[in-house]
Amino acid sequence: MGNILVEIKDLHKSFGEEEVLKGVDLDVERGEVVCIMGPSGAGKSTFLRCINRLEEPDSGTIKIDGEPITGDNVDLNKMRTEIGMVFQQFNLFPHMNALSNITLALKKVKNMSKAEADKKGLENLEKVGLKYKAESKPDQLSGGQKQRVAMARALAMDPKLMLFDEPTSALDPELIEEVVKVMLDLAEMGMTMIAVTHEISFAKGGSDRVCLLDQGNMLEQAPTEKFFNDPEHDRTREFLSMVLD
Amino acid sequence: MEAFAHNFLNINVLIRTHGFLITGLFMTLRLIGFSLILAMAWGLFLSVVRNVHLPGLNTFIVFYVDTLRSLPILVLLMLIYYALPFVGIQVPAFTAAVLALSLNGGAYYAEIFRAGIEAIHRGQTEAARTLGLNYIQTMRHVILPQAIRVVLPPLTTNTLEFIKATAAASVVALPDILRQASQAMNSTFNPTPLTGALVLYLLICLPLVQLIRRFENN
Ligand SMILES: Nc1ncnc2c1ncn2[C@@H]1O[C@H](COP(=O)(O)OP(=O)(O)OP(=O)(O)O)[C@@H](O)[C@H]1O
Ligand SMILES: [Mg+2]
Repeated sequence: MGNILVEIKDLHKSFGEEEVLKGVDLDVERGEVVCIMGPSGAGKSTFLRCINRLEEPDSGTIKIDGEPITGDNVDLNKMRTEIGMVFQQFNLFPHMNALSNITLALKKVKNMSKAEADKKGLENLEKVGLKYKAESKPDQLSGGQKQRVAMARALAMDPKLMLFDEPTSALDPELIEEVVKVMLDLAEMGMTMIAVTHEISFAKGGSDRVCLLDQGNMLEQAPTEKFFNDPEHDRTREFLSMVLD
Repeated sequence: MEAFAHNFLNINVLIRTHGFLITGLFMTLRLIGFSLILAMAWGLFLSVVRNVHLPGLNTFIVFYVDTLRSLPILVLLMLIYYALPFVGIQVPAFTAAVLALSLNGGAYYAEIFRAGIEAIHRGQTEAARTLGLNYIQTMRHVILPQAIRVVLPPLTTNTLEFIKATAAASVVALPDILRQASQAMNSTFNPTPLTGALVLYLLICLPLVQLIRRFENN
């Protein structure tokens, strides 16, 4: 197995009549950063959500670290602690302050004491530059700050893999950079990441490989350089010309 | 005017019967305490189970909730107290009252909690599950604290109705406020104890009504 962390083969998923994923394959190496792009409705979110089984795939296999995570006898809750996920809408818990958002799962899932969890929570808030906001409730934070807390919350679980679903799409333009910076730092530190994003600065600056998901097919997969400068498919060129200006 | 005062505001009668009324008050408070906790817990349980969306179970819960909301509490109470003995189940008056009130109140509370749970954005559940919390932990720590805040106004209104409905227990001879007052009235040939009962109910319910008014003004 060696260096492959994520191994996805022939993933299919339909909602009713509509086949959203039509046999998608993707391998991700340990420490690799993969960006997924594609038009709206292509199935990007669905694909990402299948990886931690927020959506149940119809067929196909997903292995993390050689362990299948599809099928009935998988411990979903344990599996999910190893996969962090960051959502477009942040999904912070509004009734808890920033620190409690992070420590909840540390205490309830990882069974840490309050002191251990607080320590770990503060460390992770520091990583995203928000230790001073530990006591703030989500509604007292800007969009960019909320997303950074959400990242700290996911990172505190020490995941093997991080999934991002358009983490900057809900942000005002001036707040995007602070979130991208945290993502770039993570990539730098060797975190394995699969990011659905149209944020070119992250794709170009942080990713090793970019994929184009189009109508449920992984149309193009190429090293970042090649994807932007010399893609195989006309469809990719078309898509890029739309996104780039 | 004098006749009215003699019949409804008779201090002497009140002094003679206040012990009765106090006993009734404690019985009513005990009844409220037990049945309110059970009704809320039962309603919460039903709404949390219903949110799992197991088809057969949900049909059953909906059937239960609709049936109980259609039954007058008096009918349910008399069924439990007077009809069950015919099949060999003897239920003491207090238990019968708690049972009837909890079964009925649980149906109402279930609907209120369900509305609250459904008002919380799906992303909250997804974020919690993604962190590895199980369904119960997600409900307990993430969804319910938010859901209950959302439904606090209908929750309070329902609790007010619930408390008033406990007066139904007097039909199975439970010595609550109303029953004690009417006993006192019968033994003194003077209805002043009913005025006492009225005051006691006002003392219990008016603060809740004020709370509801505050919700409405916000
Ligand atoms: N829970 C669902 N039930 C039914 N249809 C769904 C569901 N989730 C997604 N779909 C449909 O599946 C298709 C793919 O959706 P998905 O959210 O994966 O696309 P996407 O590539 O993430 O798009 P976007 O860029 O707009 O986020 C869409 O047509 C969508 O309407
Ligand atoms: Mg999407």
